[in-house]
Amino acid sequence: MTAFSIWPDDVQWRRVSPKLLWVELFSLFSGLAIFVVACAFAWLIFDYWPILLVAGFAAVVTLVRAALLPRIISSWGYAERADDLLVRHGRLVRRLSIVPYGRMQFVDVTAGPLERAFGLATVQLHTAAAASDARVPGLPPQEAARLRDRLAALGEARAEGL
Amino acid sequence: MSQPQQPLGQPQQPLGRPQQPLGQPQQPLGQPHPAAPPEARRRLHPLTPLLRGLRFAALAVVAISWQGYEQLGTARWALAVSLVALVLLLGALISWRATGYQVVGRELRVHEGLLWRRTRAIPLERLQSVELVRPLLARLFGLAELRLEVVGASKTEAPLAYLSLDAALALRERLLALARGVAPATGTAPTGPGALPAETGALPAGATATGPGTWTTPVAPGPVASTALPERGVHVIANRDLFLSQLLRPQWWALPLVIAAPIVFFFTESSLSFVAIASTVTAVIGAVQAPVRVLLADWNFTLGVAADGLRIRRGLLETRSQTVPPGRVQAVGIEWPLLWRGHGWVRARMDVAGLTAQDNNRMREGTLLPVGDVPTARRVIAEVLPGFDLTSVAVLPVPRRARWLAPFRARVLGYTLTDTAFAGRDGVFTRRLVVVPYGRIQSIRVVQRPLQRLLRLASVHIDTAGAGLPAIAEHRQVAEIRPLVTELAERARAARQH
Repeated sequence: MTAFSIWPDDVQWRRVSPKLLWVELFSLFSGLAIFVVACAFAWLIFDYWPILLVAGFAAVVTLVRAALLPRIISSWGYAERADDLLVRHGRLVRRLSIVPYGRMQFVDVTAGPLERAFGLATVQLHTAAAASDARVPGLPPQEAARLRDRLAALGEARAEGL
Repeated sequence: MSQPQQPLGQPQQPLGRPQQPLGQPQQPLGQPHPAAPPEARRRLHPLTPLLRGLRFAALAVVAISWQGYEQLGTARWALAVSLVALVLLLGALISWRATGYQVVGRELRVHEGLLWRRTRAIPLERLQSVELVRPLLARLFGLAELRLEVVGASKTEAPLAYLSLDAALALRERLLALARGVAPATGTAPTGPGALPAETGALPAGATATGPGTWTTPVAPGPVASTALPERGVHVIANRDLFLSQLLRPQWWALPLVIAAPIVFFFTESSLSFVAIASTVTAVIGAVQAPVRVLLADWNFTLGVAADGLRIRRGLLETRSQTVPPGRVQAVGIEWPLLWRGHGWVRARMDVAGLTAQDNNRMREGTLLPVGDVPTARRVIAEVLPGFDLTSVAVLPVPRRARWLAPFRARVLGYTLTDTAFAGRDGVFTRRLVVVPYGRIQSIRVVQRPLQRLLRLASVHIDTAGAGLPAIAEHRQVAEIRPLVTELAERARAARQH
């Protein structure tokens, strides 16, 4: 991290599992596949070739994003400080969330079918503010459970209302 | 929230004992006094179905008439209309029969529905705001509606419509006492119509609050003990200022254009169709509805402070009386509209969780000061955010390079950290200062978009439980971000621990 980064480097960042890359790739390409098939059908029905151009464009965008995915995945990180949780992510648009444990309303642990297939889960911390964004994807189930329990315990210890 | 587990619609069953069904986790019912006997469920005012039915019936009549008055003929039309009115009235009657409310411990329970029953339990310590609303029609009958706001609800929870004015006043007082944590004496007596002059005094002559023969719901058994809290008046808006300020809004500029269009059309086409007139009328209404609505809603605006919180009364046709318990204000927004700067006027809004949803209509409900000069605004805001001095705010400007991203706003953008609150400024034409007390900060987000990264800038967002007033320190230098965020987190923590 350089001095020009918004992400603090004086904390212990924990990274998400690299397997998240496969989950993201899979969902990216399955999305593309559905779109391309739809375009192919449209082309067969309407016999209008620019539709194929649209499909090609979508494919190029997807490939570019897929090429960038490793960097995007590696940008995810979280750090548990004494009083708050830090979550960072994003390459193009960089984000950093700081959520005090005392503001926690509830914690979600979710795992979609694709995530489950790779043995991953997502932990999300909710506060009373709808805009709060403290989501950590790509955690191994044990780590997700540990984080959830720790957040819940810390949240209870420091609970404040609104 | 915790759902009571007894069969609904049988309020006589003791409520303190939840049954243990099907692996449900043990739910605390939020009842601090399990020994207190649950009081009887009360109904809304018997005129409710008539009023509610009437409203829908009027709409239905208009719809039927619009569609087929000519096709149906008078007799059939009358038959259809009365049939629809009857059905709607019957529906309203059934819904009234099924609706009830009761106070259990520190909870208000609202029972609703005949087929799909729902009982909503509202823990009163979580109450964000109580509003007594009296639409014109309800005022004629001496009725009122009570609206409670709680967090996490997308719309007003439990609008108790309609209660007799006395019952509504007494219930409000009782709920607020419970919200404050004051142990309720078996029940507070209905405050007489004279006790709160602003509530009843504003009525048109001929429509007394509790006219003879008006049905009054018995409020609560128990000794008569008036607990009307002394109220300290903070500010009254002069209606003249309100009127003038609403004339000074850009919406009126559209008016000449809207009126001129059909005239031009008339001279060129030399015929004025019904459609042209109708669309003109619609356009005129559309153009000026915002200022006119504010005028109607904020007429006779009065702000006071009592032990149970901030009290706001306003309204010309539909009167509203809102009470916001202390510490419920998440953020305050102060606006300097361009056209008001000649008079040195500002307006102020507050963000209360649950009250300000995204849609614009409800934003008006957070009015703190519809119009006033800066000293007034300073006084009013000091009541809501103790220790915040509006006149001493001096924002830190953004670096010059932010002009690349916000050529016009760069001059205005800025933030400051006062002793008690974060304040961020934005807005070219309508300058806006959003103030968030440190104790209300829920989370902090730093966002850096690609162009901002090129210019070594980033934005800091302050999240609160309100939704209406975004507090942002936009386009700050990256070097400045970390100290700012650390400072904010530290101050928020200190404020929370008080």
